[in-house]
Amino acid sequence: MGLDRRAFLGLVAGGAVGTMFTPIPWKLLDDVSIWTQNWSWIPRVPKGQVDFVATTSKLCPAGEGLKIMRVAGNPISAAGNPDHPLSRGGVSALARSEVYMLYSPARVKSPLKKSGKGFEPITWEQALIEMADKLGAAKGAVACVSGDGTGTVNEVLSAFVGKLGSAGCFMMPSEATTAAKGVKLMGGAGQAGYDFENADTVLVLGADIFETWGTSTRNRKAFGASRPVGEKPKSTYVYVGPTKNNTASVCDQWIPASAADLGVVALGIAWHLLKAGATSNAPGFDTFKAVVNGGFGPEDVKRATGIAPEVLAGLAKTLAAAKAPLVVTGSPFGQGLGAAPFIAGMALNILLGRINKPGGVYALPELATVVPGALTRAAMLDGDLPAFLKGVAEGKTPAPKALLVYDANPAYGLPEAATMAKALEKIPYKVSFASFMDETAALCDLILPNSLTLERYDDLATPYGSGFCLYSLAVPYQKPVHDTRTAGDVLLTLARKMSVELKFDNFLQVLKEKVATLAKASGGFVAKDVMPWQVAAGKPAPALAGGDLWKALSAGYAWTMVGQVQSNLGFAPEVLAKAVKAGKAPEKTAVLAPYAQLRTGTPTTGIPCQDLTTVPDTELLKETTLVRLNSATAKALGLKKGATVTLSGAGATCEAQVHLFESVMTGVVSAPLGFGHTAFDIYSKGKGANYLSLMAVVEEPGTGLSTWAAAEVKIA
Amino acid sequence: MSGHSKEFPITWGMVIDIDKCTGCGACMASCQTENNIEPQPEASNKLRSTSWMLVYELTNDKAFPNHDIAFLPRPCQQCGNPPCVSVCPVIATDKNEDGGIVSQVYPRCIGCRYCVAACPYHVRYFGWYDPIWPEGMEKTLSPLTSVRPRGVVEKCSFCHHRWNLAKDAARAQGKNPDSLDDGAYVTACVQNCPSGALSFGDLKNPKHKVHELIKSPNAFRLLERLGTNTQVYYISRREWVRKLGDNYLKSE
Ligand code: SF4
Ligand code: SF4
Repeated sequence: MGLDRRAFLGLVAGGAVGTMFTPIPWKLLDDVSIWTQNWSWIPRVPKGQVDFVATTSKLCPAGEGLKIMRVAGNPISAAGNPDHPLSRGGVSALARSEVYMLYSPARVKSPLKKSGKGFEPITWEQALIEMADKLGAAKGAVACVSGDGTGTVNEVLSAFVGKLGSAGCFMMPSEATTAAKGVKLMGGAGQAGYDFENADTVLVLGADIFETWGTSTRNRKAFGASRPVGEKPKSTYVYVGPTKNNTASVCDQWIPASAADLGVVALGIAWHLLKAGATSNAPGFDTFKAVVNGGFGPEDVKRATGIAPEVLAGLAKTLAAAKAPLVVTGSPFGQGLGAAPFIAGMALNILLGRINKPGGVYALPELATVVPGALTRAAMLDGDLPAFLKGVAEGKTPAPKALLVYDANPAYGLPEAATMAKALEKIPYKVSFASFMDETAALCDLILPNSLTLERYDDLATPYGSGFCLYSLAVPYQKPVHDTRTAGDVLLTLARKMSVELKFDNFLQVLKEKVATLAKASGGFVAKDVMPWQVAAGKPAPALAGGDLWKALSAGYAWTMVGQVQSNLGFAPEVLAKAVKAGKAPEKTAVLAPYAQLRTGTPTTGIPCQDLTTVPDTELLKETTLVRLNSATAKALGLKKGATVTLSGAGATCEAQVHLFESVMTGVVSAPLGFGHTAFDIYSKGKGANYLSLMAVVEEPGTGLSTWAAAEVKIA
Repeated sequence: MSGHSKEFPITWGMVIDIDKCTGCGACMASCQTENNIEPQPEASNKLRSTSWMLVYELTNDKAFPNHDIAFLPRPCQQCGNPPCVSVCPVIATDKNEDGGIVSQVYPRCIGCRYCVAACPYHVRYFGWYDPIWPEGMEKTLSPLTSVRPRGVVEKCSFCHHRWNLAKDAARAQGKNPDSLDDGAYVTACVQNCPSGALSFGDLKNPKHKVHELIKSPNAFRLLERLGTNTQVYYISRREWVRKLGDNYLKSE
């Protein structure tokens, strides 16, 4: 008979009172501790020499530079690299997961081929033969989707697909896709880059700048530096959005406004600035002024958004009085915002004279492509994936014959899930270069597992949001844990097999060439003692020791460049006139306002297993996710705290539990994203619901862009 | 509770700026892996899961739009006068080392959980399950912290192993290990917080930033009235946050 630990303790407790004063129980207790802890299965911690190496996170969209601790040459944990401008020692919960996720149960361990309802492992050789065959037959109608916003692998992918005959190359929708569209419509060029480090007053319209928007770890470092602990803050941050989210919780002011009204708020502030005499030489100023004066006066804005006139006037005054104000516009959950609110927010930056100024917005040049026939980043960002897939689902767009998916999970990470699933079903041959068994991989014909950050060479070029051009390397520090390969290598091998000329034999060559081009570019330098924002503020840029660039990058330093392209950014008033309307606030039943957090991973990572513990029980309780609404909304809808409800929209339904939370504006239901996976592992699968599936895609008037920043849902 | 606390010439302490914490959980995630806490598939059951560092959400209890929220990261408060120590029947937890870190000796712990009940800050966790890592993931265990079996109590140690490393590094550089430079020893959570909400140092050392920070008029400690004399301080410009730090009567 085994006496388990708790039963034994029960016995001891029974006799405890009477024996308290003799030494025997103490001796016995000591023995108990020895017996009960003699577990043979406790993993032994590894032994060996500890050292540190550097790389760049590819799992986390914030693009942190990482310091990896190794023991006897084995990576153990990831921390922020203090020398890297995008981390400065900080790390998100997601980037922290880079090491242990190597061993995630959700990893795809070898190439897999669909067989019946499941998959069977095949060799790389077999996989390549099959793929060459199928892609050869699909020539002229091959499409691709990438979820990697920063990697040169996109060049290999787009060049390959282009040479096979492209049916479309798409990026997963993000802040970057919206911004690219906005800049284009404004007649500008380059990638919008935000100099938080030199800004003293930041107006945040919707963007969750400390979680999902852009270089969030860097943004937070800049915020932190302007708020020395125990001292008076040296900066002002104001957040406008439907909920007091993580970002808003540390801002000086929160102004509640629906994501649908961000453009109205921006133009309402413009009204005050114009009234105070703001003017500009940028194209379209006169028409812009007429548009703003014609429909965005304080009363118009109040009627549409509920924001009191004096609040907006105060905000305009704060911005106008600031030395270095900055306006940042984005979606509260990192995707789905229209181009018009972006343009309206950028118009404020123009009015305030903040374009290409320290602490303002830079028009950052794109780094030169090196793979012949590759699409530029701007060209890739130009595609509208939800619109394309919607077209395919509805039979308006011919379905591609083959789809290559790189680091993307469209089956989970897009709105209107039912429609997107229908479209994916119509594509006869699908291949995913997934590292983890995500929802899209699960419905593909072939999965070619991509090695993870610590197992592959890769790169990161100027993530969206960065205030400067940046290039940083990911360097492998261990053999792949499973039978995985670097997708860039696989694509190049395949191209050779299919006699598609891409100039390079392997991905490392591509990266070396990329670095060689950077070494020749003028103005670039390795950020070590001088950081790019210091250069933006006037410090001379150090010279670049060209020959050593690869070495410096491999050691974890970043190449950076401060500067801008010629950008004749205009106000795009025609677009604003069509797309931004200060109508009367509709009597909506409930508007869904999702929020996303890095701790629940991305659509391609699922919830990193160690991060599940960081999710509070006000977000996930047992297997149910909670949605937040304030007591006024709950009362209007007849909902009680803790009630289980069904949310429906866009042909889908989701379960939720009601969490009463007053930092949500009235009429809004705030819902966490990153849950409701049907794939991955026990840490992600079946945990809560995916509320993104409830959001209907609507075309933005005046721009034609797919948007889903605020969608009505039914709650029952 | 008597107000008597042991005094140590070196007193490690943390200062947490609540006005900078966004509640992102990076500190929690850092702590988990730094200290070999296993991934927990049932982590949404907060009564059974383990998180030495836990971020609480505070609210001012007002209705929209006057509602306000704040996040309060909670490591072990390393009390000067720890209620957990006096109740431990086997002296598995103690406060007797310079630095003032409340120790937890796992091989000695018998899992009676008196200390769990005694700790007013809920920093102590009982291991309900065998610690199991997904296959292969044990390769990422840190050699600097032991792995605990099921059935013992564990808690934040201020990453004590990092102090030892810092002392070793100081010795190697010919410096005095008993007078470390500010920043030579920081915990994992402090190191990784992207907002810079957490500061760490020797509260008694005037050369350390925290020495000054704790004198801020906005600084407070949790449940100070209990006389626990903790080594973790919080700072907030918001009065309602400071008030939540202790139990006040309505009339106060
Ligand atoms: S890492 Fe920093 S900002 Fe994030 S929850 Fe912890 S203390 Fe707060
Ligand atoms: S000090 Fe170390 S052990 Fe304590 S909460 Fe922070 S990381 Fe965890």
